[in-house]
Amino acid sequence: MKSIPIVDINNVSKKYCKSLKRSMIYGFFDISRNIFGIRTKSEKLRKKEFWALDNIDLKLGTGDILGIIGANGSGKSTLLKLLNGIFWPDKGQITIRGRVGALIEVGAGFHPLLSGRENIFLNGAILGMSKKEVENKFDDIVKFAEIGDFLDTPVKHYSSGMFVRLGFSVAAHCDPEILLIDEILSVGDLNFQLKCRKKIKEMREKRTTIILVSHNMHTINYLCDNTLVLNHGKKIFYGETNEAIDLYKESQNKKANVEKVKNDKKAIRITDFSVMDNKSETRDWFRTGDYIKFNVSVFFKRELKNFIANISIYDEFGNVVTGIRNDHDRENSGILIGRGEIDLEIEKLNLLPGFYKINVNIIDPDGFTILDRIEGVRTIRISGGKEVNGVAYFPHQWTFKSSEEQKDK
Amino acid sequence: MKKEKIYLPDSAIRNGLFHVVCEIFFELKQNRWLIFQLFKRDLLSLYKQSLLGFMWAFIFPIVSVGTFLVLNRSGIFNIDDTGIPYPVFAITGMAFWQLFSTGINATSSSLVKAGNMIVKINFSKKSLVLASIGQSILSFSVQLLLIVSLFAYYGIVPGWQVLLIPVLILPIIFLTLGVGFLLSILNGIFRDTGNIISILMTFFMFLTPVLYPKPLSGFLSRISDFNPLYYLVSFSRDIILFGKSDLFTGFMLSTLLSLIVFCVCIFIFHLTESRVAERI
Repeated sequence: MKSIPIVDINNVSKKYCKSLKRSMIYGFFDISRNIFGIRTKSEKLRKKEFWALDNIDLKLGTGDILGIIGANGSGKSTLLKLLNGIFWPDKGQITIRGRVGALIEVGAGFHPLLSGRENIFLNGAILGMSKKEVENKFDDIVKFAEIGDFLDTPVKHYSSGMFVRLGFSVAAHCDPEILLIDEILSVGDLNFQLKCRKKIKEMREKRTTIILVSHNMHTINYLCDNTLVLNHGKKIFYGETNEAIDLYKESQNKKANVEKVKNDKKAIRITDFSVMDNKSETRDWFRTGDYIKFNVSVFFKRELKNFIANISIYDEFGNVVTGIRNDHDRENSGILIGRGEIDLEIEKLNLLPGFYKINVNIIDPDGFTILDRIEGVRTIRISGGKEVNGVAYFPHQWTFKSSEEQKDK
Repeated sequence: MKKEKIYLPDSAIRNGLFHVVCEIFFELKQNRWLIFQLFKRDLLSLYKQSLLGFMWAFIFPIVSVGTFLVLNRSGIFNIDDTGIPYPVFAITGMAFWQLFSTGINATSSSLVKAGNMIVKINFSKKSLVLASIGQSILSFSVQLLLIVSLFAYYGIVPGWQVLLIPVLILPIIFLTLGVGFLLSILNGIFRDTGNIISILMTFFMFLTPVLYPKPLSGFLSRISDFNPLYYLVSFSRDIILFGKSDLFTGFMLSTLLSLIVFCVCIFIFHLTESRVAERI
């Protein structure tokens, strides 16, 4: 079946103005022009204006799930607002065929003094539902939001979790054909996040077209077929989610790697740090289960006995995956003066695919004074190798036994 | 075929007059429930966190009526004889005037107040403006009840013409909404608008013969001749108090003007509302 795209973004651009005063004046002129039926020549940039979105071109069919990722200020939210019709493009054309539901901010239409019940009706009306629709879905909305006894309490007394749950619940029950979601899945507790994901999966099964903006790569990876990567308002990639995420992360890490290993005049300092493979060659990508060696060069101006070396691996969210210290391992560092080298070998690096940062600390024998440290200077990328779900890979072995030997026919 | 929405620059202009009129009409028709919900929100939120609650809707008018009674007794006002007790004259006029002035204040700030919502949800912004006048109509109704009790106090028996009140206030409502649509857009861009309105409102009130009868000659008299609000307020008041008025022509012309203002301004609002969302 050849189908017409349900969302058709045709070379769309949107400009913003950096100066508030100018923005007011421009707004006044644009509005005056519109009143007198004159076009606004919006395709040209005026002084202090810039393109917040530049020439975006995209088509989505029914049931497509699109992720949008990019650094802060790359135009993700602006694109959603254009799709929602809150802002209008300055260049190009957007065609939407179907009812749009938007979750740009959960509970944006709520009034703090009104009760949950009153807010459900109010917010339902604002989101474009009819009275009948809200009445029919009222019980489902309340049930999904899990607000229970608080239904007739003003929402300003709700916990932030309840507030968000109610907001999501109303919006999710609008039955949109196109759903726009901006970073809302990162709020609320784990239980709620799982519920949201489940709801979104349900909608996906109903062939709802979903556009999802998120900084959480797991969510994007889990839900989206295709992903758009934006950078300063420009499309830098559109295609397979895996590729998009790799590309985005790499561009993020380039920024971090620019910081050089510092080299100041401390008495005790780390002069170099490298990550190597089993052939002692410097590398920054590995596969799950590979051999890895960390090599730290140090320079000690004064003699130091029994200092502590510490190497930690962090995931992209800043969680420590592992922190290794020689004193915990009951390994003595001995006495060192002048130049020295510290090696840490890991036989099997059981990290799952992703990006990881390495921190190195040289700690005083007292156990807590940090004499020198380098943070996140090296990033390693793990790709491929073993395939498991979750956060870690454990070497394992399967055995299958059955109580009866299967008989041949 | 599913409903198709197209967003492109200046699209409101490209579509032509008839299309725009239809769009406005259907938007209003579709959003009746939303308008009611927004009105309910304004009303509930105003009285919720207060001990006296809805009583406040009566307290304000009672106090202002009381003020006039006291001022009248002490003889501060030295107004020409209007044929009826001055407090009745003043309060009736004030009720109509306040319908306009509080309406203008509410409508002109309606977009700015909902700014956070406007940039996050796409909904009918006309409904916001329309709902915001509900409060003024409600307090007008309350004042009307008080006027009835004043009639009883002074032993005035009103004619059947009082039943015309719901019709008489329509032109004022249209004028208020029309001006409100325009001002809410302006206020969205320049916050100065709100301040200017509150300064001008008091000035306009004294310029319009609300608390005094129209002078027979002089500067104020000439201004009143061209002031549509003079006709809208005074004609209605005359009808209620005396059952007749010689301002009929002026009233009809002002009504026509109000309707024109309403239509032109809602049209302007429709053309420009998406631009305001960007700047609000």
